[in-house]
Amino acid sequence: MSLGLVVLIPYLGAVLAAWVARFGRLHSAWVAALVAGLALAWLLPHAPTTFAGATVVQRLAWLPAVGLDLAFRLDGLALLFALLILGIGLLIILYARYYLSERDSMGRFYAYLLLFMGAMLGIVLSENLIQLFLFWELTSLASFLLISYWQGREEARNGARMALAVTGAGGLAMLGGFLLLGEIAGSYELSVILASGDAIRAHPLYVPMLVLVLLGALTKSAQFPFHFWLPHAMAAPTPVSAYLHSATMVKAGVFLLARLFPALSGTPEWAWLLILAGGFTLLLGAFFALFKHDLKGLLAYSTISHLGLITLLFGMGTGLAAVAGVFHIINHAIFKAGLFMAAGIIDHECGTRDMRRINGLWKYMPHTATLAMVAAASMAGVPLFNGFLSKEMFFAESVHLSAGLTHGWLLLVAVVLAGVFAVAYSLRFIHDVFFNGEPVDLPRTPHEPPRWMKVPVEVLVALCLLVGILPAVTVEPVLAMAAASVLQGPVPPHDLALWHGFNPALLMSILALAGGLLLYAARKPLFVLADRWQGRLDARALYQRLLQGLFALAGGVTRALDIGSLQRLIALFVASAVLLGAAGFLGGEAPLTGGRALLPVDGVSLLATLGLLAASLGAVALHRRRLAALILTGAVGLVVSLVFIKFSAPDLALTQLSVEVVTVVLLLLALYFLPQRTPAESGLARRGRDALLALAAGGGAAALAWAVLTRPYESIAPYFLAQSVPEGGGRNVVNVILVDFRGFDTLGEITVLALAGLGIYAMLERLQLPGPDRDAEGRPWDWDTHPAIMASLTRLLLPLALLTSVFILLRGHNLPGGGFIAGLVTAVALIMQYLANGAAWTHARLPPNLHPVIGWGLAVATGTGLASWAYDHPFLTSTFGHFDWPLVGEFELASAMVFDLGVYLVVVGSTLLILIYLGLMHGASHVLRPDEEAR
Amino acid sequence: MQATNFPMPDLLPALPEIVVLVMACVVLLVEVYSKSRAAGYVLTLLTLLAAAGVTTFTAGPDTAYTFSGMFVDDAMADLLKLMTYLAGIAAVIYSRQYLADRDMFRGEYFALLLFAVLGMMVMISASHFLTLYLGLELLSLALYAMVALQRDSATAVEAAMKYFVLGALASGLLLYGMSMLYGLTGTLELAKMAEALNAGVKSELVLAFGLVFLVAGLGFKLGAAPFHMWVPDVYHGAPTAVTLFIGSAPKLAAFAFAIRLLVDGLQPAHGDWQQMLAVMAVLSLAIGNLAAIMQTNIKRMLAYSTISHMGFLLLGVLTGTFAGYSSALFYVVTYVIMSLGAFGMVLHLSRAGFEAENLDDYRGLNARHPWLAGVMGILMLSMAGLPPFVGFYAKLTILQALVGSGWLWLAVLAVLFSLIGAYYYLRVVKLMYFDTPHAEAMAPAPAGDARLLLSINGLAVLVLGILPQPLMALCAYAMQASLQ
Repeated sequence: MSLGLVVLIPYLGAVLAAWVARFGRLHSAWVAALVAGLALAWLLPHAPTTFAGATVVQRLAWLPAVGLDLAFRLDGLALLFALLILGIGLLIILYARYYLSERDSMGRFYAYLLLFMGAMLGIVLSENLIQLFLFWELTSLASFLLISYWQGREEARNGARMALAVTGAGGLAMLGGFLLLGEIAGSYELSVILASGDAIRAHPLYVPMLVLVLLGALTKSAQFPFHFWLPHAMAAPTPVSAYLHSATMVKAGVFLLARLFPALSGTPEWAWLLILAGGFTLLLGAFFALFKHDLKGLLAYSTISHLGLITLLFGMGTGLAAVAGVFHIINHAIFKAGLFMAAGIIDHECGTRDMRRINGLWKYMPHTATLAMVAAASMAGVPLFNGFLSKEMFFAESVHLSAGLTHGWLLLVAVVLAGVFAVAYSLRFIHDVFFNGEPVDLPRTPHEPPRWMKVPVEVLVALCLLVGILPAVTVEPVLAMAAASVLQGPVPPHDLALWHGFNPALLMSILALAGGLLLYAARKPLFVLADRWQGRLDARALYQRLLQGLFALAGGVTRALDIGSLQRLIALFVASAVLLGAAGFLGGEAPLTGGRALLPVDGVSLLATLGLLAASLGAVALHRRRLAALILTGAVGLVVSLVFIKFSAPDLALTQLSVEVVTVVLLLLALYFLPQRTPAESGLARRGRDALLALAAGGGAAALAWAVLTRPYESIAPYFLAQSVPEGGGRNVVNVILVDFRGFDTLGEITVLALAGLGIYAMLERLQLPGPDRDAEGRPWDWDTHPAIMASLTRLLLPLALLTSVFILLRGHNLPGGGFIAGLVTAVALIMQYLANGAAWTHARLPPNLHPVIGWGLAVATGTGLASWAYDHPFLTSTFGHFDWPLVGEFELASAMVFDLGVYLVVVGSTLLILIYLGLMHGASHVLRPDEEAR
Repeated sequence: MQATNFPMPDLLPALPEIVVLVMACVVLLVEVYSKSRAAGYVLTLLTLLAAAGVTTFTAGPDTAYTFSGMFVDDAMADLLKLMTYLAGIAAVIYSRQYLADRDMFRGEYFALLLFAVLGMMVMISASHFLTLYLGLELLSLALYAMVALQRDSATAVEAAMKYFVLGALASGLLLYGMSMLYGLTGTLELAKMAEALNAGVKSELVLAFGLVFLVAGLGFKLGAAPFHMWVPDVYHGAPTAVTLFIGSAPKLAAFAFAIRLLVDGLQPAHGDWQQMLAVMAVLSLAIGNLAAIMQTNIKRMLAYSTISHMGFLLLGVLTGTFAGYSSALFYVVTYVIMSLGAFGMVLHLSRAGFEAENLDDYRGLNARHPWLAGVMGILMLSMAGLPPFVGFYAKLTILQALVGSGWLWLAVLAVLFSLIGAYYYLRVVKLMYFDTPHAEAMAPAPAGDARLLLSINGLAVLVLGILPQPLMALCAYAMQASLQ
């Protein structure tokens, strides 16, 4: 995995560089240089084969599930970029060693720089698109760290954040594009993708894919309208700017264009998107660059403009244009890195970058001035410097392209105009800084920088000249190699000579040079004009507005939905459920009423239904008066028990009846401690909304019930009816189900009931609540009175009621009744004593501790279940037999009846436990009558 | 009944559940009689380790049914249960100091936690509507009580109340849906329901209604919009130790719930539930990410982030493809790891009388505790879905599954919202690294065990991000073995 190591080395080096900073700040610089050199050394052995035209692909299975191998690819384009990244990287490392001041942490700087270098190498050496994306996002992160290196500065943090937001977002869009591209091509491998260009271009998803991929490339390369992050990224230390904005970060976008050129280019969509974006950027960048007073600002906009030029070239889609694009990538990297470094030296020595104050530096630093002037001339496209060659090719390609367009001259005008501005801003860089009078109020006295700080610039400037004068010897092999891999085919014939004879391209160059001189001469009034426009044509405002819009939206969503009120939450919940239900109904496209025949309506049922309706409506209408509402709720329960009787379920009716009595008494006891009326807390509108919601939800539930009940269904009732006597030995099917078929459930239920009783006991014991001593009208409560006649009568009734409950318990297996109902009847009988005789009196006469009753009940029920184990049957298997009792006759006994006894005991115990302690609490908080008190 | 046709069920597949059940009761009893506060803590850890051992020991590619087809033990169940134990163990260790500081270091917490774990295990292994519901309620009831564990805290009690009321409503909806499907197909067993649906249904209307309510109940459990309202209040109001637990393990159970219900039982109605899931996913992504931006409380922010993560999870499920299911499984597993770490950090930075729950409390954390800030930074970046952390692969596989099954617009929306989502995660990073701390120094609790676990947690996110393949393959394998 030697290629993988090239990428890995900088990462390991980053850790090392951060670590060695402990032993001296300059150690990091040495380590960083060594690391970059090592990576370069690791790469170079591959160079000969690549120059010969071979493509090296190395892979390591990594994530086959995602179609992601760790695969590296070295071809001409990758090698060119890797050389640029490592070569310029080395120069930057050297330069930064002198640039950074004592206060700056060297370890951190070089660690970040190496991280970034590794990520960039990862991008250019990736064979797999997903892997490429990974490194792409890593460059965004690493550049964030680099730009915000001076964390204390507000503008550094803002610039870093903006760069991260824009390029990171573009990267995500690109990921979407890559996923699509992978789907279209059937693989994420570049080898496959580059070979299937025709299939990709013909695919219906081509356009969305292209747009997403280009979003990534254009944001990274700071193309219009995403160009605004780049000038703000100038808050970074100058070595960072020199690295990021010449050879690396922003070149990643155009690298992607070059990389995917064979697969994506050649369609009108590709051409128009790139030509428009590139053309606008070229022109706008050049225009703004002239009017920046900040030295680095000028270079930033110039970078934007040159990237637009490259984008435009790739957009043209012809082979020659692509060659020109690659060539300009090389040239721009060289001269722009040199210019940034020169700007850094000037900033370093003068303490400011404001060109209105920096003047006449020629006298103070002639050596630096010469270097900067050469690089600037190259940027302007002056002959004999490298920028001229690629610019000339660009002009020629523009002429070629415009010939095929209906309004082609517009393009030519724009291109020449951009050339004019480029010459003008380059001229300004030279003239304003190094000549043009004396410096104005500089913080420091400028002088030449340390010797070795200039070496990187010298190297780059030498390259400018070498390429510019002897292109065929120096750059041609590299260019041919890179262009061949961009085109994935033969490179069209091109001539890198300085002189091509008189042709339109030369004319355009001359026009640009002359126009630039003139424009610069007339700059003063233009500056005034530009100052007036300052900030209006700034796309940053758009970004800010976008952010503000997002915050407003987020704020709106939060205000609407993030509310603490439970009522609102429930309203939202219910509304969502109703909406979903409605959607389900509308989506189901079936009639509401099913095919089942309806039952006939008889008078009694109708009457009962009307009673039910009236009671329910009454309860709703009177719900603020709690006592009335409670009584009406009781009435609803009574009608429901009538319904059970109508459908021949006397057991259920009995249960319902006794449960109703017990619960109403319970609620009454609790109501004593509550206000008599519920206050109306919400307004009319809100209550109206709630009523509507309730109607919708209730109506929906009713409609659902209707829909289900009118459809035929298979009941499980016949099974139980048939099995009840032979299997369970009882004719009361409900009871047999409870104690036999579903005995386990019942055991669970009585356990829960017992626990509930004990829980309530635990909460109520020793609880003291202040009971009201006056009613709502302010009248004092009446004392507890227990009329003697009623007390005596209920005492007489007690044995009768108990007897009834035993009767119900015993016959339960065959006739309506059972342990549950019997337990409730017993409880009701005892409650009557409480009501008639008072809690204290009755309590004194009952076992003070009801826990054993509950416990015995559970024990009996569980014991019945366990007994069946003794006979090798599963838990709770029941049996029954017929016995002969003299005088009485034959009767049946089922083990289930013992179980029922357990149920009975638990029900009695729990119900009484709850009621007694509620009642006692009632008494404890009640004001005593004077004579009671006397006792 | 005389019959002896009750075969003794095969208890082996349910052995982990039995272990946890027995030990939960033991913890409860030990608390009554033991003077040592640490007994419950140690016993809980041992229980979870023992359950993990049993599950690992009985794990295999085969699917075993028991309790008359109500309970299933398959590879997915094994994986999810192991993750649940892991989450439980992490929750217990992270919470120790916090609970001790607040006089909650008692048997109740541990017993409730074990019961909740048991509920999740039952849910994960349910192959029947009733088992599913049983597990769900066991989990929910334990959680309601855990939220209200700090009885003198008004916000906790309020949160518990809201959770309970809304949860009861959701359970009602769920049961309603289940009963309709039962009426339609005549069975509550998931596999048989799929057969019955495949054979054709009598009424599309009842199916649609049943599905609607089931999906609503599921949405509530997952915390997906529009049934998400409980999430922020409960996460915010509950003691952080409980929030940590609620925010992690139950997501695994909810995922199992979704797969069992929608895939095992209702795959034939895929076309119907797919649409509903799409709506819920988009709403969750939108509401979760947008509302999270405006939060100033980190627990609340993470609550909204959970909502958006659940939206992402739903995206994987709704594709209806194997790739989608296994990527959703991978997503939920990695999410739980990240969520444990994030809440663990909130716990670790809290101390007696101070809850590190405001975003402002994280200002300048790097200056004071660079290691903790680094771990938190990794967790936040991973949650934001940035490479090279594991959160990125989780999102990537889901997006791939989406694109692969033709849901292009959903994929684009998902990417857009994760971009918005990145904002609030990065804000935490920015606060920690670029802002100056408050004058009041932030001293994390002196819990060495929690700090060690936090480091492991953070590193796991990084290591899994660099080498996600084993976990990804495991998820795919588990899904494959369970769905065949």
